[in-house]
Amino acid sequence: MEATREIYWNVGHGVLVPMYLLALAALGVMAYGFARRLKVYRLGRPLVRTDNLSARIAAALRSSIMQTRVLRVRAPGGVHSLFFWSFLMLFAGTVLVFVQADIAAPLFDKRFLSGNFYRYFSLVLDLAGLLALVMLGALFVRRYLMRPGGLESDRDDAIMHGLLFAIVLSGFIIEGLRMAATELPAGSALANWSPVGLTVAKLFSAASEPSLRMWHAVAWWGHLTLTLGFIVAIPFTKLRHLFAVPANYLLADRGPKGCLSTLDLEDESVESFGAAALGDLSWKDIFDTDACIECKRCQDRCPAHRTEKPLSPMRLVDDLHRVAFADPQQGLAEAAGKDALWSCTTCRACQEICPASVEHVGKIVEMRRNLVLMEGEFPGEEVTAAIDNVEVNGNPLGMAFAARGDWARELGVKTLDEDPDVDVLYFVGCYASFDKRNIRVAKSLIEICRHAGVRIGILGQEEKCCGEPVRKMGNEYLYQMSAAGNIETIKAYGIERVVTSCPHCFNTLNKDYRDLGFDAEVEHYTAFLDRLLREGRLKLKPESFSATYHDSCYLGRYNDLYEAPRNLLGAAGASLREMDASGAESFCCGAGGGRILAEEKLGRRISKERARMAGETGADTLVSNCPFCLTMFEDGVKGASLEEGLSTVDLSEIIASRLTN
Amino acid sequence: MKILVCLKQIPDMESKFRINEEGIWYDEANLAWRINEYDEYAVEQAVQVKEQLGGAEVVALSLGPARVKEAIKKALAMGCDRGVHINDEEGWRRDPFEIASLIAGYAKEEGFDLVFTGMQSQDRGSAQVGVLLAGMLGLPAMTTVVDFALEDGAVRVKRELEGGMKACVKCNLPAVVTCQLGLNTPRYPTLPNIMKAKRKEMQTIEAADLAAAGSRLVTDRLAFPEKKGGGLVLEGEAADLAGKLATILRDKIKVL
Repeated sequence: MEATREIYWNVGHGVLVPMYLLALAALGVMAYGFARRLKVYRLGRPLVRTDNLSARIAAALRSSIMQTRVLRVRAPGGVHSLFFWSFLMLFAGTVLVFVQADIAAPLFDKRFLSGNFYRYFSLVLDLAGLLALVMLGALFVRRYLMRPGGLESDRDDAIMHGLLFAIVLSGFIIEGLRMAATELPAGSALANWSPVGLTVAKLFSAASEPSLRMWHAVAWWGHLTLTLGFIVAIPFTKLRHLFAVPANYLLADRGPKGCLSTLDLEDESVESFGAAALGDLSWKDIFDTDACIECKRCQDRCPAHRTEKPLSPMRLVDDLHRVAFADPQQGLAEAAGKDALWSCTTCRACQEICPASVEHVGKIVEMRRNLVLMEGEFPGEEVTAAIDNVEVNGNPLGMAFAARGDWARELGVKTLDEDPDVDVLYFVGCYASFDKRNIRVAKSLIEICRHAGVRIGILGQEEKCCGEPVRKMGNEYLYQMSAAGNIETIKAYGIERVVTSCPHCFNTLNKDYRDLGFDAEVEHYTAFLDRLLREGRLKLKPESFSATYHDSCYLGRYNDLYEAPRNLLGAAGASLREMDASGAESFCCGAGGGRILAEEKLGRRISKERARMAGETGADTLVSNCPFCLTMFEDGVKGASLEEGLSTVDLSEIIASRLTN
Repeated sequence: MKILVCLKQIPDMESKFRINEEGIWYDEANLAWRINEYDEYAVEQAVQVKEQLGGAEVVALSLGPARVKEAIKKALAMGCDRGVHINDEEGWRRDPFEIASLIAGYAKEEGFDLVFTGMQSQDRGSAQVGVLLAGMLGLPAMTTVVDFALEDGAVRVKRELEGGMKACVKCNLPAVVTCQLGLNTPRYPTLPNIMKAKRKEMQTIEAADLAAAGSRLVTDRLAFPEKKGGGLVLEGEAADLAGKLATILRDKIKVL
């Protein structure tokens, strides 16, 4: 006898019509559910996210099927992925059954579910079902018994767990009942190809055939009902992530990474700036809130949340979700909480880890823009004063703009005004220009460039703040004024290559300024020096020392520059002791998002937390690459009482001390 | 109601100051300019009165070269209705009496109900223009005001006195008020208001067309404070300290 089974055994082909009618009805309800949500997405502003469609589809398929974003957190991600893959197999199996039973067999008299193919088909699906059950169990234990801090469960989670568990289990019961009535009495060897089904069948072996048939019919209809319930539940519960998350991969921002939208401030028809109400967000922002599955990965990594500030990226997205779907009249800032909005350091840890590709930072900046541009609100008077300083003196520190190039006088560094014939323009930035500690960083860079024979010039008093902190604080107007001034000045000198010592300047000149017509090549000094090192122009004599390296947000997560600084450190003789939170998982110093201008009044100090992490490595030196980070760590190390054993330096200072004679 | 706010554009106090060639004022090269801090309180208070009344005309006036129009624009962005620029390239030479007379020359025909000025300017610091203007317009003046209320056409203010004391003063309109730190927190202009300010009326009057009184004061010389020696902190045991101090007093200061 050929290895196969009778599809619609016991229930008969008579179930076909009611089954498909019910399935159609379920799909109809699902479509209705999504159509209603689509209306809510459409309340948002237009935004194009369907360019490069083939590349988008490929990326979405890859991320979904390979579970690449889910797997970034190994343990729970691994369990989810195994469940996903087993569920995918079961779904594929069901599709094959459907194709043979309702298309191939009745229309073309073809039956492919037989012989060896059927044997392996049985085995694979049987094991996939077992894997699905085990993984569901593991997820259940994690969610309901171990419950990691911050993981919240609601009705949706209970429905999802219950439905999926019942569907897989009832599938095995149907199989077991059928096998108990057919393959088991016949002593068919085929039963061995369904080990789990066989185990279940043996439980029922004592029952009579009529009662097995009766229970089989009951289980069959039960399984069908559960499956239909599953389809119906998709748009109405977090099960919608089955569609929403792959769709969000498809609709993801294709970069450059971390670019904010540049507002058109000249457009006189625009009466409101930034996001005050739901309709001020883009449709993608609203869709994002629907894709969030509240896995709390963002919250776990948020420097504000981890230091007891009132911001959780997950809660914020959930607050916006509530506005969108329950209370569309509510103001966004009110729903999210102003303190939460101001607490963000735009470190991008949330966005980088999000398995659903939700974009958090842009939403926060849009809401800040509204507070600043429409209400004139800032998180504190010190911020208002700093912003005023940028306006008047072109730096947030309130120093005389005319003194901006003073640090370079004694080194004899030429301003472009004095000599525009240079290889590279060094865009110094406010902190390296004015802050005592960071002036040493600027001087180191000059020393290194001279050693490598690079002719370097600065703008001196013609340079202004790049505008990054004020932009991230929401003051798009002042940012654009500042940027326009810098762009005009740099263009007038015909500069083609710019190096910065600040990752914030780097990211702003290299990405944000592009919208305003800036086209010079921009590098952060770490990438620049790494290149000189590889070209053999920069020669170092290594001296061994133990160090831990802090990946600044704007070099790391924003620009994926992880290797160049470590290369340089290696060449300088460092033996690196990495912190747990390093690379893309690095923990912000607390100064991003314009927070460098603000006092940290809420919760614990972020810089102290980071200094503690650095201290735990046992390294002697905490190396950073950013003036904001260095400023924060000078404080943080003292705050954590680590100044005895841990010195804070900028990478350029290390390199300058290792130059060959 | 018609309100006048007088404001001065001054250099940011962190600027790198140099004394000009004549040696009587600072050189204007390489300075960053802003509204005099006390005048910002004046602007804010005027706009608050306008908001309280649900309407009033607030005129922002400044005297100086073309650059002071930037200060007027900021006041317009904060909520003033129109600007008056008394164009005077050499305004820095004028003493407070002359300046007050120029402002009075404009204001006397306008019939302002309330005039706000800063208590003093951060650069000259004479604290005279507001009160002189009141005298020239024949109005009562309330100076160093840290609290302001307008009720039933009368003004109630608190004036800051020495030693933490405050005087509560009541006065009928019209009147002049000079504003002190603590009166209010000047608002940050919103973007729509910055844009609107660009289209608001800005009238320029040549100083030469207003009858200026002759100057009463002559600046003789301007100088940076002389550098004095730094302080000295002695540390150690009381007995040693006494010895060290005695040595210094005897050998260096030669008082013993």
